[in-house]
Amino acid sequence: MTDIASSPPIDAATAPGSGQRLRATTQIYMYVALILVAIIVVVPLISTALGGFKTLSDLRGNPFGMPTEWQWSNYGDIIVSQRYWLQMGNSLVIAVLTVFLTLAFGAMAAFCFAHIRFFGSDYLLNYFLIGLMFPAATAILPLYIRIRDLGLVDTYWGVVLPQVAFGTGMSIMLFRNYFRNLPSELFDAAFVDGCGYMRFFWHITLPLSRPIIATVGIISFVGSWNSYILPLIMLNSESRYPWPLGIMIYRGEFNTEWQLVLAFITLTILPTIIVFFLAQKHIIAGLTAGAVKS
Amino acid sequence: MASVELHEVRKAFGALEVIHGVSLHIEDGEFVALVGPSGCGKSTLLRMIAGLEDISGGEIIIDDAVVNDLTPRERNIAMVFQSYALYPHMTVAENMGFNLRLSGASKAEIAERVNEAARMLDLLPLMERKPAQLSGGQRQRVAMGRAIVRNPAVFLFDEPLSNLDAKLRVQMRSEIKTLHQKVKTTSIYVTHDQIEAMTLADRIVVLNQGRVEQQGTPMELYKNPANLFVAAFIGSPAMNLLDGTIDAEGGEAAVRLSDGTAIRIAQDRKVRRGQPIKIGLRPEHLSPGKAGTALTGQTLLVEPTGAQTHVIFDLAGQPVTAIVDGEYPQRHGSLFQASIAAEQVHVFDRESGVAL
Repeated sequence: MTDIASSPPIDAATAPGSGQRLRATTQIYMYVALILVAIIVVVPLISTALGGFKTLSDLRGNPFGMPTEWQWSNYGDIIVSQRYWLQMGNSLVIAVLTVFLTLAFGAMAAFCFAHIRFFGSDYLLNYFLIGLMFPAATAILPLYIRIRDLGLVDTYWGVVLPQVAFGTGMSIMLFRNYFRNLPSELFDAAFVDGCGYMRFFWHITLPLSRPIIATVGIISFVGSWNSYILPLIMLNSESRYPWPLGIMIYRGEFNTEWQLVLAFITLTILPTIIVFFLAQKHIIAGLTAGAVKS
Repeated sequence: MASVELHEVRKAFGALEVIHGVSLHIEDGEFVALVGPSGCGKSTLLRMIAGLEDISGGEIIIDDAVVNDLTPRERNIAMVFQSYALYPHMTVAENMGFNLRLSGASKAEIAERVNEAARMLDLLPLMERKPAQLSGGQRQRVAMGRAIVRNPAVFLFDEPLSNLDAKLRVQMRSEIKTLHQKVKTTSIYVTHDQIEAMTLADRIVVLNQGRVEQQGTPMELYKNPANLFVAAFIGSPAMNLLDGTIDAEGGEAAVRLSDGTAIRIAQDRKVRRGQPIKIGLRPEHLSPGKAGTALTGQTLLVEPTGAQTHVIFDLAGQPVTAIVDGEYPQRHGSLFQASIAAEQVHVFDRESGVAL
């Protein structure tokens, strides 16, 4: 028979059930933190969308609540206006060109940095990565001079090229990490099968890189979609304005129609939110690639 | 098909030389296994033959042509990898036909050759599946199919069965052997598993620290290991190695162990009295009873494996393994008596490790 009195005392920390209690407490803290973050993200979005349904006086008196009277015409007028669709079209052209070029240059450069050692490759990589530290706004004057010299002021390319240049560092970093984590045996097998670097890139690397392509694509799409300073400096004609500049139409010298600004913003950020939700799975896979051994 | 020849092949990573002038001749159609412990350079050597690794010195000749500077494709070799290395986004058929597609073969030709290889490997029902939808054994068969399709001069296998479970490994071993008997392509097979090497290869090359320790048929290596390394590496369970000194027993050469036990050795051994040596006793040569030199000790462990039982007993303070019939009644702690014929006692110089 077991002598209970002589048994060693049970340490509270190692007692059965204490582990579950600790996990439950941790989970409660985690949920509280996540709910707070969600509130910080969601409240401005909902306030913006609701603000678009208010009158200006309603918005001033009741910025976060439900509209006293739903002003559907705020959204309706914007949607039926030609200017809105033109600016959305401009934003789309600039964003698609930016995404395509950022993906093309970023993926090809990252492939070289991931697989080919050449003289100065590390320095060149660091040179690209240093670009991550400089937002385009800090170099806006020299950028403008360069774009003017190239004759690209007031063209889509005047916005696209700087955006691609400033997005390349980030895309190289993400692509390179992803490519380096592809199994090296695939490279060996493809080499034995008769691939060179180009064929390996095209036939093997790219088809296996959909998550990171989606990640880089979305990041550069959102960056371009929301870009304000670059188009403001580089574009003169209203017909080429992307949507962030379109907001200016609602700003008067003495008065700003904030309810229309909010309705306009809601309508223009909708496409990026939809794209993000569609590609969410790939984005998370791309950002966490290589974090654990597969 | 082709012969493969290595002349003083070397590989160095900076100042560190890992392959020290290996020379080999592999006949047309021969199946050669490169074996050795992890880090001995066997995979590096295979990758050098494949063209996936540059060589630092020497010559690699395939089908009478020096291939040092040729790409893997130009060498006309095919390789099967440990991790299968199948392209995850391609179907089985696409994986197998990829190299033909790259070489510009027509769709009809690709389909014909892929189907032929698939039929040979029983892969026809799996042709439209992706690698993720296949079991380990099926993936390995696809990897072999990919190699067969291109009809290469040389097959290179880099530990192809290491990722499979024990049962599947035995099955795939038979399939590789059957495949080689069918296609008769020159094959070089890297493994750290000496059983795989023994069962598959016409010839085994034992590597250690980038050098060839010994090469020969499986039975040559088993019966006449050139040194302690090969003796310990070939055979399962491993050969028992015991320290002793050359002495005479009844007018014949014998080895005296530390506890005074004398073990008779073959009289043609080149030994001198008082010479410190190591003797090697294969577990399967230690039979219970007193037919040869009787060796007695207390049983330390009994490991039944079914048909056979491994008895580990104490001999001169060292554990010695003997293989006995599965039905043999042996208990832990009891006395075990085994004997061995003088011709079956291997003798090695204790300093150099060379067989005497």
